[in-house]
Amino acid sequence: MKNKLIAVLLVAFLIMALAGCSSSGDKNVVNNTNNNAGNNVADNDQGAAEEDTFIVGFDQNFPPMGFVGDDGQYTGFDLELAAEAAKRLNKKLVLQPIDWAAKDMELESGNIDCVWNGFTINGREDSYTWTEPYMDNEQVFVVRADSDISTLADLAGKIVSVQLDSSAEAALEDMPELVATFKELVTADNYNTALMDLESGAVDAVAMDEIVANYQIEKRGSDLVVLEESIASEEYGVGFKLGNTELRDQLQAILEEMAADGTMAKISEAWFGKDITTIGK
Amino acid sequence: MPLSLLIQKLSEGLLVSIAIFTLTLIFSLPLGLLVAFGRMAKNPILRNIVKFYISIMRGTPLMLQLMVVYFGPYYIFGIRLSHGYRFIAAIIGFVLNYAAYFAEIYRGGIESMPLGQYEAAKLLGYSKTQTFFRIILPQVIKRILPAVTNEVITLVKDTSLAFVISVMEMFALAKAIAAAQTNMMPFIVAGVFYYIFNYVVAFASEALEKRFSYYQ
Repeated sequence: MKNKLIAVLLVAFLIMALAGCSSSGDKNVVNNTNNNAGNNVADNDQGAAEEDTFIVGFDQNFPPMGFVGDDGQYTGFDLELAAEAAKRLNKKLVLQPIDWAAKDMELESGNIDCVWNGFTINGREDSYTWTEPYMDNEQVFVVRADSDISTLADLAGKIVSVQLDSSAEAALEDMPELVATFKELVTADNYNTALMDLESGAVDAVAMDEIVANYQIEKRGSDLVVLEESIASEEYGVGFKLGNTELRDQLQAILEEMAADGTMAKISEAWFGKDITTIGK
Repeated sequence: MPLSLLIQKLSEGLLVSIAIFTLTLIFSLPLGLLVAFGRMAKNPILRNIVKFYISIMRGTPLMLQLMVVYFGPYYIFGIRLSHGYRFIAAIIGFVLNYAAYFAEIYRGGIESMPLGQYEAAKLLGYSKTQTFFRIILPQVIKRILPAVTNEVITLVKDTSLAFVISVMEMFALAKAIAAAQTNMMPFIVAGVFYYIFNYVVAFASEALEKRFSYYQ
């Protein structure tokens, strides 16, 4: 009696497990941006095709560069560029969302080919093999519109939040005098958490990328503003594992080609309303 | 994003969570029994090795263990990881961790059985194996069910740790959608999903307990 019951339970679990594996495993490699949630599961059959894939690692909590779109598929400015580049590289694009704090290990161990995700070059020059920068960015502070903060000096005694392992965090590390005036520097798991903290009043300012900040403010429709004074200006590039110059050179050529034939400008206009890319300018 | 699509996306993530949950239970429940035997072994070397294993598994965070299992082969032994290893690593990490907890629950159950039962079984001519599987284990299962249920429910919620090695389970998806949609809805839906999942687990456990209460 007991044995039967246990057997039945085990079988039920097995079926659930198989259902879980198969339904998420069969669509792990996809063209362009049609990725899905289960691309990590049961893709052992992929080894043979590894040569032909272009695995882009990105932080999925990072609109507008890479995020889950309204239709539930991964989308974003950088991912659209990556899709176009993969097509021209004649490789299959695999979009691999990663835990941002683990990006170095993912890259080192070869799980992803590159990080392409509003990835700031400055301060990381020697840690990755970079393409030429394709976009300018600034690190800025976002505050509530009704707050009394309008300059960096006003941040004295305030609580500031920053994403773990982000370039804003790196920029702040270079400014210990400024950080010393803060009441507290909080490290958040991702920008969404940081901005939720800001909206709810738990922190007074968030240090982040300007391009992302502007998009977030527009999308949220909340009363947040970007401080005029920036803390660092920097450039975005695509980061490869140190020494992977072969793939980098291929991608670099394709990026230049995309800039020359206007594809890049077109994608930029679609996302930002104007061409803010910097290749070939 | 319409609610129906949100539910559909989170359901895809839920399947991954269910896969982690199920595979972990399938492997860790039996492995836990083996570990419990090792922990109670007469051989002091074996006993202490197992004791050490349990103490490591209980003494360090599961999140850290997942990272070691996943990245360890490359960083410690220089083995290149294949793309499919991610999910397997998550399962290995969960199984090793949960087996340690289950082992201690089993041990508590087994050691709570009165010695007199062993003596009586011996007098009646039962072998050691027979005594364990026919007399001791059925009673042990009855006794440890509530404690096991506790662990199993914790496991449901622990599946959210798998994203530390980029396994896209439900909560990672909920966070991603929340970041894009800038609202709380994905978290609420994820919470409801977890609750229903655990409700089913608790219901199954209660039914099992009833089945086992044949002497009352």
